[in-house]
Amino acid sequence: MQVPEDLKYTESHEWVRLEGDLCRIGITEFAQSQLADLTFVDLPEVGAKVSAGDEVAVVESVKAASDVYAPISGEVVEANETLSDSPEVINEDSFGEGWLFVVKPDNVSDLDSMLNAEAYRALLPEE
Amino acid sequence: MTSARFCTFSEPLPYPEAVSLQKRLVDARITDGIPDTFLLLQHPPVITLGRRARTDFLLADDETLAKSGITKQFSSRGGDVTYHAPGQWVLYPILKLSQNEMGAHGYLHALEDVALNTASHFGIQAYRKDGKAGAWCDQGKFAAIGFKFTRWVTSHGMSLNVKPNMNGFELIVGCGLVGERVTSFQGVLGVETCPSMDAVAEVVAEVVNEVFQRETELIEPEDL
Repeated sequence: MQVPEDLKYTESHEWVRLEGDLCRIGITEFAQSQLADLTFVDLPEVGAKVSAGDEVAVVESVKAASDVYAPISGEVVEANETLSDSPEVINEDSFGEGWLFVVKPDNVSDLDSMLNAEAYRALLPEE
Repeated sequence: MTSARFCTFSEPLPYPEAVSLQKRLVDARITDGIPDTFLLLQHPPVITLGRRARTDFLLADDETLAKSGITKQFSSRGGDVTYHAPGQWVLYPILKLSQNEMGAHGYLHALEDVALNTASHFGIQAYRKDGKAGAWCDQGKFAAIGFKFTRWVTSHGMSLNVKPNMNGFELIVGCGLVGERVTSFQGVLGVETCPSMDAVAEVVAEVVNEVFQRETELIEPEDL
């Protein structure tokens, strides 16, 4: 199971990539594998203010809907609209083309308290 | 075996009340305030639409629904449109799935097993259909599935048609499956031989233990 070293993670299986002063956010390879084939994505509105821990997006597979939580507080500045037509991209490339949204964080230092790759990997079942 | 609680409601519970009850239990389960909990209940007649439900699968307007005594509710579960009514058991497991236990696919499979094993206990030959969620017999589909994960705690679940008034199903394209026949235990076994709701509830409680590998303690709604 892929867990890129350069990302931060949450216990609820979101990932965060710091790009300049912005945070790109998605769900991990483990999360997409647990949900199986995704068929529907509900993304936050650009401009929305979110707080860490808020339910901000929904991904849905077979008959399961699962909430996605904001890993960090800030403003949503971009959402991956291409996913509406092709949610399966999350299954194919969860850390790349399958990103969900971008947040401009209130405090970039909030990232420091999130899990690093090693700590996140420890949460996953043994392969 | 993990310990868990199983609660059967003797009176139909309105859909919005079941939603807020589940929300309370999910929040408590996330923080380990309660053990895994199974709710088995019936709803007054209601048509519910999942997050991505297409309203064209709801074939009746609000006026027709009102005349039929059916309410309409939007739901946060996965899946499309479905119908609940007394005579149908709804199983809402509030489970914290461990990382090693199962994902959405395994959980879906487990809910299907609950429906299939319960039906088979009453002599109904039941099976899955590839690529579709639910449980079928030759007369049609008798169990529907739609659930939600909140921080990997489950809510919503599975409905099992024992002997509901089937008219409500004519107002929807159930689960978005066009041309799909819907049936019930009574539709298969006949009025005379159809088991009582209580008899089915007892079997569901046993089957749940086998399928989910839980040792459940029976509790009353007021103890939730």
